[in-house]
Amino acid sequence: MADENWIEVGSTDSIEEEDLIRFDHQDKTFCVYRLTDGFYATDGICTHEAVHLEDGLVMDDEIECPMHQGIFNIKSGEALSPPACDDLKTYPVKVDNDKIFIKIN
Amino acid sequence: MNKKIFILGGGQSALYAAREIRKNNRDAEITILGEEKFIPYERPPLSKDFLLNKRIDEDLYFCSKETLEEEKINYLNTIIIKVDFENNILVSEDNKQYTYDTLLISTGSKNRKLNINSEVDDEIFYLRNLEEANNIKEKALGKKNILIIGGGFIGLEIASSFSQLNKNISLVEVGNQLMGRIIPNQIADLVKQFHENEGNKIILNKTISEITKINEKYKILLNDNTEIISDLIVAGIGSIPNVGLFENTKLKLDNGIVTNEFCETNIKNVYASGDVSNFYHPLYAKYMRLESYQHAQNHGLCAGKNISGIKTEYSSIPWMWSDQFNLNLQLTGICDDYDEIVERGKRIDDGIIYFFLKNKKIKGACGLGIAGKVGRDIRITSKLTEKNTIVDSSLLSDQSQKLNKLIQK
Ligand SMILES: Cc1cc2nc3c(=O)[nH]c(=O)nc-3n(C[C@H](O)[C@H](O)[C@H](O)COP(=O)(O)OP(=O)(O)OC[C@H]3O[C@@H](n4cnc5c(N)ncnc54)[C@H](O)[C@@H]3O)c2cc1C
Ligand code: FES
Repeated sequence: MADENWIEVGSTDSIEEEDLIRFDHQDKTFCVYRLTDGFYATDGICTHEAVHLEDGLVMDDEIECPMHQGIFNIKSGEALSPPACDDLKTYPVKVDNDKIFIKIN
Repeated sequence: MNKKIFILGGGQSALYAAREIRKNNRDAEITILGEEKFIPYERPPLSKDFLLNKRIDEDLYFCSKETLEEEKINYLNTIIIKVDFENNILVSEDNKQYTYDTLLISTGSKNRKLNINSEVDDEIFYLRNLEEANNIKEKALGKKNILIIGGGFIGLEIASSFSQLNKNISLVEVGNQLMGRIIPNQIADLVKQFHENEGNKIILNKTISEITKINEKYKILLNDNTEIISDLIVAGIGSIPNVGLFENTKLKLDNGIVTNEFCETNIKNVYASGDVSNFYHPLYAKYMRLESYQHAQNHGLCAGKNISGIKTEYSSIPWMWSDQFNLNLQLTGICDDYDEIVERGKRIDDGIIYFFLKNKKIKGACGLGIAGKVGRDIRITSKLTEKNTIVDSSLLSDQSQKLNKLIQK
């Protein structure tokens, strides 16, 4: 049975390894990452100030905010380095037929 | 008996050092002695979101009082007026004495003050701490015309915040460019244009000759006889390391407290970190004093490790930012020692970066962009500088090419 909460983001080859893409859905922004062990998704806006993480740097399992270098763990959303102190929300991701889906609700 | 570790100065560097020491040592007595009545808080928002009423006091603390209690880090609100390095004793204004086994000095820096005329000098506002930020905010209520003296980061950030609150800003800078001491002129010119487009009046190459108070207003006369009328004057004319306490002691001073790459001073068991320290940087092979958020944090962490017995060299590549309007400026490394300049990008919307190279290696870079547009490339640049990587300048200048290709794993 199709689960309507899974939203299609794009094809797996749209993201390079150790990189991310921004994905906008309704009025929200997400970041979808390709790490060495698979795909992950988080909110697309830093929890420190309202800056898009799409311009940030992915290093191993971490995303570093481009504005003030706040760092989050991509898999858990945990804020690892100030000035970021609130965690980032994460979302489940699945890959089906080379297409990436994220579960938003 | 447990080791007594005292940290003099209650700012960012002090706090990061204290928490790092606790991580490595469960039993030491750790006490921060700070003259402010607040536990350590972030200063960057004071000139930005705090003035804009987007953030309040409670949002600024690095951690809560409860966290300090849990980690058994004491914060004592007291002013230290004397340090006796012979007998390891700190003396407070209320005549209490504290004996230390190890001392970390993180007294930060203080604002340089103007000396114009005694009638108005005390009415000029400065911004370094929460109390001053509250005073400026309160004083600016209902005022329209604001004069800012000094075109450094803090002056420009205050200009940006007050302009967003619909005030008329005049900013007077003595130098021939903004942020003259450390920012390349290419970026400084872009910042100036941006402020002017937002309606701020930027006056370079001028000094203040005279300020007179007429009723509740100030009449400011510049050295070219231009007159400015203002309701409030705020100055940001640079800062100096907070070392008054140590003059005439055996602690080695030279533009701050001289420390080696392990945060050690010339006195055994006495360390220094943050704005107050003039430290040896092994990668640049020279001494430097930095006033930045990232440095205060990382230098504090490094001091904390060394105090805990984990010998750690401090070799972070300098990095700082300034936010003005919706612009984000970032600086990494040092931009005054180069044989080639490479420009990347043409529009602030996509980010513009100037790289400063010597022998094909990046020594520093400065970028300006809307929100976080230059952040990733500046971060990659710091890594390239750290690794002393030889770079292809045609790749640096081509914004369609991603810079992470340059990082060798
Ligand atoms: C308004 C403002 C905006 C800034 N914006 C940015 C920015 O956008 N980006 C950036 O990278 N950096 C910014 N900075 C710089 C950054 O905040 C500082 O570099 C950093 O706070 C330095 O930390 P520190 O712990 O070394 O010193 P401080 O934070 O200055 O702390 C030192 C503390 O020691 C106390 N003290 C001094 N002497 C004594 C004594 N005798 N007894 C007891 N206590 C004492 C002082 O009162 C102070 O509380 C800004 C600074 C200011 C003031
Ligand atoms: S906006 Fe992300 S760390 Fe500040």
